[in-house]
Amino acid sequence: MVGQQGVRYTISLIATHFGDVVAKVCECLIRRGSLSFMEVVRFTELHKGQVKDCLLVLIQHNCVQAFSIPKTVGMGGATKPVTLYMAIFDNIIHRMRFSKFLQIVKEHLGNQCAELLEGFLQHGRLTFELLYDRASGLSGGKAKRDDVLATFNKLVHAHYLERCPKGDPFLESDANDEVSFVRKRTRSGEKTWTIEQEAIIAAAPSDADRFSGILNLMMDTEADIKHIKNDSSLEVSAGNKRKHEALEAEEEIQNTINTIDVLWRANYEKFVQCLKKKTCVANVRSRFGLDAAIVLEAMIESSDHQNARTMNSVSSSMSSIIESVRGKPGGLSMTLEHVRTILEQLECQVCTEETGALYTVGLKDIIENCQNDEVESLVFKKYGKESYRIFRLLIKMGQLVPMDQISDKTFLEKKEAQKILCKLWKDDYLDMEKVNLNVRGRSEVFLWKVNKKVLWELVLNDMFHTALNISQKIAQVNEEFLLSNADVQKLERLRRARLILESSLLKLDDAIMLFHDF
Amino acid sequence: MQNISAVIMMSGTGKLPQKRKVPALPENEKKLYDLIWSKETLGIWTADMKKETGLSNNAVTKALKSLQSKGFIKDVVNIHNKAKKIYMAVEFEPSKEISGGTWYSEGSLDLEFITILREQCRLHVERLKVATLENVWQFIRDSKVFYIDFSLQQIKEIMSAMVLDKELEELISSGVGDFFHIRAGRECYRSLKGRDGPKEGFFSAVPCGVCPRINECSPDGIISPNTCVYYQKWLGLDY
Ligand code: SF4
Repeated sequence: MVGQQGVRYTISLIATHFGDVVAKVCECLIRRGSLSFMEVVRFTELHKGQVKDCLLVLIQHNCVQAFSIPKTVGMGGATKPVTLYMAIFDNIIHRMRFSKFLQIVKEHLGNQCAELLEGFLQHGRLTFELLYDRASGLSGGKAKRDDVLATFNKLVHAHYLERCPKGDPFLESDANDEVSFVRKRTRSGEKTWTIEQEAIIAAAPSDADRFSGILNLMMDTEADIKHIKNDSSLEVSAGNKRKHEALEAEEEIQNTINTIDVLWRANYEKFVQCLKKKTCVANVRSRFGLDAAIVLEAMIESSDHQNARTMNSVSSSMSSIIESVRGKPGGLSMTLEHVRTILEQLECQVCTEETGALYTVGLKDIIENCQNDEVESLVFKKYGKESYRIFRLLIKMGQLVPMDQISDKTFLEKKEAQKILCKLWKDDYLDMEKVNLNVRGRSEVFLWKVNKKVLWELVLNDMFHTALNISQKIAQVNEEFLLSNADVQKLERLRRARLILESSLLKLDDAIMLFHDF
Repeated sequence: MQNISAVIMMSGTGKLPQKRKVPALPENEKKLYDLIWSKETLGIWTADMKKETGLSNNAVTKALKSLQSKGFIKDVVNIHNKAKKIYMAVEFEPSKEISGGTWYSEGSLDLEFITILREQCRLHVERLKVATLENVWQFIRDSKVFYIDFSLQQIKEIMSAMVLDKELEELISSGVGDFFHIRAGRECYRSLKGRDGPKEGFFSAVPCGVCPRINECSPDGIISPNTCVYYQKWLGLDY
């Protein structure tokens, strides 16, 4: 669950990108959960037309997903489908990472692919036809359809682009499930899914469809052209003067999101996965050297994970590791023996399958290592060397530790250790438990531990708060920049300040990803 | 140095005497001596003596003085409260709870001594590039820098604290390269020189990461990024 500051930050992102009115609708959905069109109108006190426009913008940019559930109406108990709109928190947060996504594609597939991707990042969902129009416009009419299609297919096959999910999937309700009130259901007896999670699953296209690309341009084009009028209404024009009747407004949303056109979008999951790989490889490089980084990268690339959050470990056979390693710069000279040694260093588990030995490396441990580094560095800067030592001990032990043991292991006087522990406890870095023992004349013993779950949430909340602060400062610097166009020295200072702020925000986002997305 | 060497030679849990001598003593002194003896390596505080024997303040003070001058008891420093005098029979050495254990001297951590020992451990690890605990222990013994013998456990305590400070790292030997002299799979240590200490975090590099006022800071509040002095300084805008 994301804390208050995370919510505030998402809303500020939407306000910066789409304006305050869209942000108001988005805030309403984030804070209150999935709502029907009329509920959004009631809670935001906006005009129906405005709500419709805002929802369309948010849907167009993958920040909101619609879904329908059956609802009982009238005395006879008849049911009729009602559409709810849910905000997708993660997709909103990804908006601050677009420059990183572009960089990934630029490095992997080159500038042309990055330019096409940029179209999706700017406009959200596009048909191939609209994408081609954009490419053609940018090149002054020089771009050839076949070339654009080839580049597009390259992006789809590399999973950087995906087919959009269904616009408004219908969720069947269980017989005794009053969906409008109970928003949790149990599937196959064990895992509890929220209705929102079910909607995401129901909306997702099959894997084959998702990354199939476009084989026959003619067939797809016909469908595109038929509905091109609809597509152009996806973008909301400021002077939109439609009737503001609820029904018509809702119908219009339905028409737009249920288009039969094949819409495509950037596949954020893939990008987050790439960034997770990058983080893990960088961590291993700093701890075990360049060769270990090459081996880990090879292992991750030879696995077929699609979701960064569930990619907790990767497994590969020795032959596919070697093949992948040899394809990398610096990997050609690595011997089998050397790779095997590195796998041991990375504490890989080996299990023997019918097809041969499989090596598994825990990415979860690597990410945990990065998370620990991040929080330990905070403790060091905020509280000093001794606190850092105590904190690292407690992280390492991962359980309740008595005061005496802490002071012994950290070589600190008992009084000093106690003072530090109390300070860290007061600031919610530690948990404390008092135990009555009545031994050797001392009745009370204090036990301490790091409650990672709680502390990590706290740190993440502060990180979102900081991201909000930095964004606010960037806006202020930009304003000052516009006002002080005469003073060259001041302009230079402001330019430098903006550079520091922007690069810090990107780095801070790396840290946010460690705690939120990986 | 002198002090810690004495302490180091003691056992961490206090030394138990073989046999108890039973001296002939006046009644009050005998009562008090029996009580103090019974507390063994923990010793006993004067106020508790009064409570347990029912003797007056004066009587206790007098008896203690006499017992001490006869060489039957001694006073020891209690690390939990240095002002709280504790008495113990001379045959016993204070327990870890009272003395603080191996690394304490006169009730305080002997920091100077610990620093020298850490430095020696680091030197030995760096000399070998990668070293096991036993390697370091052996080297320290052979180097004769210290005229006392350390136990393996004592060296482990020191090295573990250095790992916590990220001066050393704990690794598993691969048996090849720098690890050739260590059997594969064994735990060993390597110096982190050059990349020692805490890593600079992305969050701690920003003023808000370590800001004591973050909970009071809000976009339109009195404390806000727009008015924040830490930001002005960080961004070089405090001219
Ligand atoms: S903006 Fe300034 S006052 Fe606010 S949290 Fe950051 S450093 Fe602290």
